[in-house]
Amino acid sequence: MSLIEIDDLVVEFRTPRGTVRALAGATLHASAGERIAIVGESGSGKSTIGTAIGALLPANGGFAGGTVRVDGVDVGTLDRPGLRRLRRETLGFIPQDPIATLNPTMRVGGQLALVVRDLGGDASRAALAQLLEEVQIADPADVLRRFPHQLSGGMAQRVAIAIAMARRPRILIADEPTAALDANVRREVLKLVFEAAEQTGATVVWLSHDLDAVAKWCRRVAVMYRGRIVEDGPTASVLEAPEHPYTQSLLAAMPSRLRRGVEVRTYTEMLASQAGEPDDAEVGA
Amino acid sequence: MQTLRWVGRRLLMGLVTLLGIALLVFFAARLVPGQAASVLLGPLATQEQRDALTAELGLDRDLFTQFGIWIGKVVTGDFGDSIISGQPVLDEIALRLPVTATLALMALGIALLVGVPLGVLQALRARRRGGAVGSRVISGLGISVPEFVLGALVVLLFSTVPLGITIGAFTAISDDLWLGLVSSLLPALVLSVFCAAATARTTRDAVLGVLVEPWIQAAVGRGERPWAIVRHHVLRNASIPILTLAATLLAYLLGGAVIVEGLFNVPGVGSYMLLAMDRRDYAVIQAAVMLAAVVFVVMSVLVELASNLIDPRVSTMGATT
Repeated sequence: MSLIEIDDLVVEFRTPRGTVRALAGATLHASAGERIAIVGESGSGKSTIGTAIGALLPANGGFAGGTVRVDGVDVGTLDRPGLRRLRRETLGFIPQDPIATLNPTMRVGGQLALVVRDLGGDASRAALAQLLEEVQIADPADVLRRFPHQLSGGMAQRVAIAIAMARRPRILIADEPTAALDANVRREVLKLVFEAAEQTGATVVWLSHDLDAVAKWCRRVAVMYRGRIVEDGPTASVLEAPEHPYTQSLLAAMPSRLRRGVEVRTYTEMLASQAGEPDDAEVGA
Repeated sequence: MQTLRWVGRRLLMGLVTLLGIALLVFFAARLVPGQAASVLLGPLATQEQRDALTAELGLDRDLFTQFGIWIGKVVTGDFGDSIISGQPVLDEIALRLPVTATLALMALGIALLVGVPLGVLQALRARRRGGAVGSRVISGLGISVPEFVLGALVVLLFSTVPLGITIGAFTAISDDLWLGLVSSLLPALVLSVFCAAATARTTRDAVLGVLVEPWIQAAVGRGERPWAIVRHHVLRNASIPILTLAATLLAYLLGGAVIVEGLFNVPGVGSYMLLAMDRRDYAVIQAAVMLAAVVFVVMSVLVELASNLIDPRVSTMGATT
């Protein structure tokens, strides 16, 4: 039995313009301790699959088919206390915009203390400073006294990681955790995430669109397109010999593979030009 | 240092506001038809007697001179004497202020104790279908029913059915603490209905605004309990509009709840002002209005200072740090 089992998951959102299908039968299994990257363009359903693991969909969304099982338990059948227990004891989220996910009116120390106390841990100043040291914050005493808006993006992300890891989650879900950061800070933050997961044995689900970084950190990658997992396998083989045409177009756009003078086309453009060719041929004939 | 300079600037602006209000109230009071001398001397007095009294009171000079004399005294803290009693106006008001203050604080206390929890509850249930319809109807009613209707109903009820509280027999808390509180209770309740409804509405909107913030979603994602989230991550963030409203309400209540004090025969600033208007006791009207204005100005400075403490991102102090 895998730790995460997502089978044929359909998620729909009600919007003023009708129902939008964010996941259209997505299937993904991950075992304990695995590191898996989910890549795909914006709107492909990456974030939805990440939030679905904790049944944290926005109020206008819901499961419309399929199942999500965490540790064998169908999260769709859990009541509120059951969901809270799952989120507290099993899941940890690392956000895209860390500053916004910290309460702006509370000092970092206060927020960390709340989380630690909630878990029945030691919320003394020294213990909190220790937590920040573990995420490589050089001057923890100073950071504990600051408000979120007084932190840099990288610093705030370290604090968010400390908050997530304080709970020793078995599954760590990171939704583009480096999107808001400078290039050199990105590397350090990713290193931190994966090292922390390594230490605690947590499964990492990393939602990303940075294929170069994915190649470095994850042995397994799943490619999402239009609400489905279209390709899933060892990173090396997916990157070397992509099977799905969408993956091929994604790879062609990787910064490290760009060649001067070679045009980069999106998958949609590729599809459009393929569909257009027969017409041209007919006109020619 | 920066804070001090800011407070200084705000107080200066407050003084300008007060000067404008002084002008308004001074001329508005004199626009009311009927002269003080006629009211004081009654219908049987002769024209000579009236002219003599008008001259004695200084009311025969042109309005701008009168205003100049009055404002000149006001800046030295002298608001003049009551035409009726001959006592300094400030002493007269000081006599009645504790009564109004008790009433105001009780009404505000009740309003916050009822309105804030009600508003939070409404916000938490807002997403459910048909959620909190009942409490929204109640707060809608509370906002729209006028005080004189509600007050009259309460007076009627308590004066026809023996419910243990006598209307009209007012005891000051300085005379007897318990009786004083009891006799303030009914008018305070009537006053608090509007305030509680307004507080509930403001709280609901403020809480709804906070509930969609990412840090709330993050707390939900950590599996924190709803009430813990409200306590730690919602209330403080939603408190600035609630505090602003509370300060406005307090200033409004301290200025004298004219209608309710009149209805319940409460000898506070409100009913004193009503009496003064009736008698064209200009100095009293002016002083009472200025008192309310000062309370407003001071309250708004205090609220802005508090906002800076509540949310460190708010910087109304000017210069960015």
